[in-house]
Amino acid sequence: MVEKVRTVKDVCCPFCGTLCDDLEIDVDLKTDVVVEVRNGCQIGTKKYFSSNPSDHRYTKPLIKENGEHKEVSWEEALDKAADILVNAQRPLLYGFSSTECEAQSKGVVLAEMLNAILDNTASVCHGPSLLAIQDVGASLATLGEIKNRADTIIFWGSNPVHAHPRHLSRYSDFIRGYFRTDGRNDRYIIVVDPRNTHTAQVADKFIQINPSEDYELIQAIRAVLRGSELDVKEVSGVSIDDIKELVEKLKSSNFGVIFFGMGLTQTSAHHRNIDTAIRLVTELNDYTKFILIPMRGHYNVTGANQVFAWNTGYAYSIDFSRGYPRYNPGEFSSVDLLMRDEVDAALIVASDPGSNFPAAAVKNLFKHPLIAIEPHKTPTSAFADVVLPAAIAGIECEGTAYRMDTVPLRLRKVKDAPGECLSDKEILERLIEKVKEKLGE
Amino acid sequence: MAEIKLKIKKKLTFPLEADSITPDNFVGKTAADIKKLPLFYATKQVTIGDFFDVTGKSTDVANTKIIIDGDVSNVKRIGENMTGGEIVINSDVGMHIGNHMSGGKITVNGNADDWAGAMLQGGELEITGDAGHYVGSAYRGYWQGMKNGTIKVKGKVGVESMLWAKSSKPSNMWPTLYCGSADAFLGIHNHGGTIVVEGDVDRCAGADQAWGSIVIKGKASRLLPSYKKVGEVNEVQLPNGEVIKGKFIEYSGDHTITKETKGRLYLAA
Repeated sequence: MVEKVRTVKDVCCPFCGTLCDDLEIDVDLKTDVVVEVRNGCQIGTKKYFSSNPSDHRYTKPLIKENGEHKEVSWEEALDKAADILVNAQRPLLYGFSSTECEAQSKGVVLAEMLNAILDNTASVCHGPSLLAIQDVGASLATLGEIKNRADTIIFWGSNPVHAHPRHLSRYSDFIRGYFRTDGRNDRYIIVVDPRNTHTAQVADKFIQINPSEDYELIQAIRAVLRGSELDVKEVSGVSIDDIKELVEKLKSSNFGVIFFGMGLTQTSAHHRNIDTAIRLVTELNDYTKFILIPMRGHYNVTGANQVFAWNTGYAYSIDFSRGYPRYNPGEFSSVDLLMRDEVDAALIVASDPGSNFPAAAVKNLFKHPLIAIEPHKTPTSAFADVVLPAAIAGIECEGTAYRMDTVPLRLRKVKDAPGECLSDKEILERLIEKVKEKLGE
Repeated sequence: MAEIKLKIKKKLTFPLEADSITPDNFVGKTAADIKKLPLFYATKQVTIGDFFDVTGKSTDVANTKIIIDGDVSNVKRIGENMTGGEIVINSDVGMHIGNHMSGGKITVNGNADDWAGAMLQGGELEITGDAGHYVGSAYRGYWQGMKNGTIKVKGKVGVESMLWAKSSKPSNMWPTLYCGSADAFLGIHNHGGTIVVEGDVDRCAGADQAWGSIVIKGKASRLLPSYKKVGEVNEVQLPNGEVIKGKFIEYSGDHTITKETKGRLYLAA
């Protein structure tokens, strides 16, 4: 029998921060399209299929003329993009979380050349975690340790069944580990959430709290842990007796972990929720081993923080306007800048602020020249003056990505990119050359 | 006292960074010299003369008074690191007014943006309108923010004001904030700061306070569960010697830090 497909094994999935590294992809030999994805979750599988040629995929560079996108050569598109960036007085470079580390480091180079503002999607997801870690430190571990040792798992404001579908089976719940030989039966799962999520439904204990009162609840837990008798009978919809019971459970565990998501970082109190959660973990270490791990969303947002931090000293919200990097979320973070209309051109790399920034910020973003490096049609790229079609990292080009526990993994190339698509790294390299020319360097 | 008048002559599209506008930088300079001092606008280095009309001249720091007119609501970092003298701003003012100031006085006749008086080491900052977030707070990552001096805000202060304030008894340094009302997380991580609020405060005042005093003459929308009632008092003595008369309920906290704490929060009875 003649082989019709080629199979690529041990592929790292470029979708969420779990970064599963055991996917198997079948690619049709004749047409070079993905025909089968094994081991992946529904979302990861869809991402592989989305790389196949379709109406949604860009294959040629585009420039907007009279409100319509027109196909042009790479030379022309890059020239226009470089013009926009060089002529801007306060350009913003945003995104970077759904591409690989080499491309991200090129972003840093470009931002420094342009004295631009450099930001990644952490500024609207786990930026608050980074702020809190900077304030009070953090005890972290790798997911392998969780798999092998953890017996008490808390999911606080996160819903991995939907957002990180294979997290439970690979690292935190059903998986058997070295010291957790009976998998699920050896672990006690606690979910804290205002909603009865699907993760809550597979948990041993579900603590339903009032929305946006996480901070008060963690403070109460910490005070009880310190041995204080509180004046109140109930905090955030949870009775003091339940809090006491929870504290005893946490103290008596062998190895505990808190996984937290947007439910903590992006509800009111933001980084202060994480601040107090980290301190809770620190205090629990007086009794037992406890750690916490942020449930990072984009597969390489952790990488973006790492790359920016080792290049500039700061993980996100970086301003180069005075020639050296400065950092101050609130002052130099993308949404705040756009709300105050302080940006006069933007380069968006592998991200779609058009669909998840506040409307007022998006309005100001679209008012000014916009460049998108993007494989698919998105609300952002639809408004872009220049669209530079990218190959999808982890599917059509190689690279490095960081898992949510900051373990770097190698992404694989499983097929060629359609049309004239180039990798994000190559696009940024060419753009840097163009900008250099125009700046006369 | 030598007066120097600055009047802004351009409308700003981007924020202007004016960390050179301090009495210390103006010492012994004529108007022409002052006009040559650097400012930063977007990605460009410019001069004070490009953006301001300057009149008057300065002698020594203590006797220098800078008066700023025109709309400077988008001018950041005025009075940064100042050690003496006076600045009067007759307008709303941008971020970081008087940050790291260690002496002298700044008066803002209007509203101030975020980080007003951040990392204050001494001196006095007075704002007649509202102030933004992080008034008198520590910058990102610092464990010691405002260490001394006084901030008076007539209107409201934003979230996380007086973050990581730190007093020192041996050095007699008592960072103090007076404000009309306050947003959430007032005095979070307080290590000895004193806060007096004329009106109401939002949730979580005094969160993670190690020691210090917070006096609220109005209502608190949601008091932290980790605060415990101690009793009622008829007056509150502040560490800087000031006495506030009135009936208050005394709470101790934050009990998340230690079981027994010297931190106090007084809420109008």
